[in-house]
Amino acid sequence: MPSLHELQSAFADALLNPDTTRTLSYVAQDKISRDQRLFIYRNHVFSSLTSALQEAYPTIERLVGEAFFRSAARAYIRQHPSTSGDLEQYGDRFADYLDSLKQVDEHAYLPDVARLEWAYHRVYFAADAPALSTESLAKVDPSQQHRLCFGLHPASQLLQSPYPSLRIWQVNQKAYCGDQTVDLSTGGNYLLVLRPQLDPEIHHINHDEYIFLHALSCDKNIADSHDLATNINPEFDLTSCLQKFISNKTLVTFSLEA
Amino acid sequence: MDITTESKLKPTTPIPAQAGIGLRAEHYKEVITTRPNIGWLEVHSENYFGQGGKPLYYLELARQNYPVSLHGVGLSIGSSDPLNKTHLDHLNRLIQRIEPGLVSEHLSWSSIDGKYFNDLLPLPYTEEALKHFSDRVHQVQNILQRQILIENPSSYLSYSHSTIAEWDFMNAIVERTDCGILLDVNNVYVSAINHGFDAHHYLQAIDADAVQEIHLAGFTTDTIEGQDILIDTHNKPISDEVWALYKAAIKRLGALPSLIEWDSDLPPLEFLLEEASRAQTIMDERHALVA
Repeated sequence: MPSLHELQSAFADALLNPDTTRTLSYVAQDKISRDQRLFIYRNHVFSSLTSALQEAYPTIERLVGEAFFRSAARAYIRQHPSTSGDLEQYGDRFADYLDSLKQVDEHAYLPDVARLEWAYHRVYFAADAPALSTESLAKVDPSQQHRLCFGLHPASQLLQSPYPSLRIWQVNQKAYCGDQTVDLSTGGNYLLVLRPQLDPEIHHINHDEYIFLHALSCDKNIADSHDLATNINPEFDLTSCLQKFISNKTLVTFSLEA
Repeated sequence: MDITTESKLKPTTPIPAQAGIGLRAEHYKEVITTRPNIGWLEVHSENYFGQGGKPLYYLELARQNYPVSLHGVGLSIGSSDPLNKTHLDHLNRLIQRIEPGLVSEHLSWSSIDGKYFNDLLPLPYTEEALKHFSDRVHQVQNILQRQILIENPSSYLSYSHSTIAEWDFMNAIVERTDCGILLDVNNVYVSAINHGFDAHHYLQAIDADAVQEIHLAGFTTDTIEGQDILIDTHNKPISDEVWALYKAAIKRLGALPSLIEWDSDLPPLEFLLEEASRAQTIMDERHALVA
């Protein structure tokens, strides 16, 4: 008689690997064989994990087609089984997995479109936050302002890509009915995925804005973040940049660096 | 509409002995704007493990008008891995936020060696599994500081070394942990057909005092190797056989919170409410008979 742990390990092995040599001799069989009975569970596991990937990556599915998506999902599920009882966590490494596939070499933009979809997915469920109090910010002693640090909205993500990933995403939305062509030679983009209220928004941002927000998100103070942005663009306008990202709720907290 | 304003949660509201429906994303707006006449709502706990955004926003709005029950599918109580503390933390946070009338989970396992299958996998009904499962229910109740209900699963296989009938296994968990039972009448029927036991015997044998909630759902019939097997798909109307079993259950147990469960290929809200009203009528008729 197997211990509970032995049984569960062998069962798990049989679920993920249909060719497994371990037979679960203690699964009862009658007119329906034990392999067929296990198949019901295997089928259910793969179909619910595949649905979770389809929900998180609808644009990728549209780009590669359902058949390719399903077979990629099957392989991904074997390589990267779920690690949480919460299905919404599933699929965080799908972009890297797509990156590793030789078949997608001609569509090298796919992993970055997947990264955009995952950022959107995460932002959808992330915490709410009130807007930053500009009144309190105005009270900071001007001599101390260089020590300011800003916190980004918990429902925000920064992305960069050498491909026009947002344009690819946009023309592949169900509701989109404009010109479908994407000119890859238009180059890359810097993106901010943000959920100021209930619906995620995706914004194009400039390279200097990306560098500035990224530095702030890594806990650099405003002076150091400003320097990094100025390296990219000597004309970088700190005041208007701060106003823009405070008013659209990208920056929602501040503190003074110790 | 500012989602960051503090929501007005009612204190924990018990789930009434009436029919309720599962609240799913497709019906959020309709349930909130039309406020259907229904006793309570149930949601899958894990769908609200995020810290904000639409799911919690709509659940909190619904909670202002209805008692809510949290039904978990991912705690993997039967696993021989240690209990997942992150999962429990998220559940605890949700309980604090929603103040549910009932919290339930399944007699099953869904993970091992850190890998999750996100499915309700069957346990062997042995003394070892009984001790393990009961210890874990005990731990969960200690951590959550409240009683939980355990639901009988649908299953498609059994183990030749099982020595305890499922109803006895459920009763023994209650005896050892003081948890409650969520009796899924559809699951009783599905498993009875799949494993060849008498569904009515299950209803008679289950600890009547422990049952605090009933689930009703639809199943699908598959044919494998020329044999019918019932699959608990939650995507169809409740079958006549399951309604008959429900009637028998209510006759024995009295009126209980009874949920219409529907998880995929969702019908219009109106259809769910009709199914709920059918369950309510069965409870009302039983009450009239006794009165």
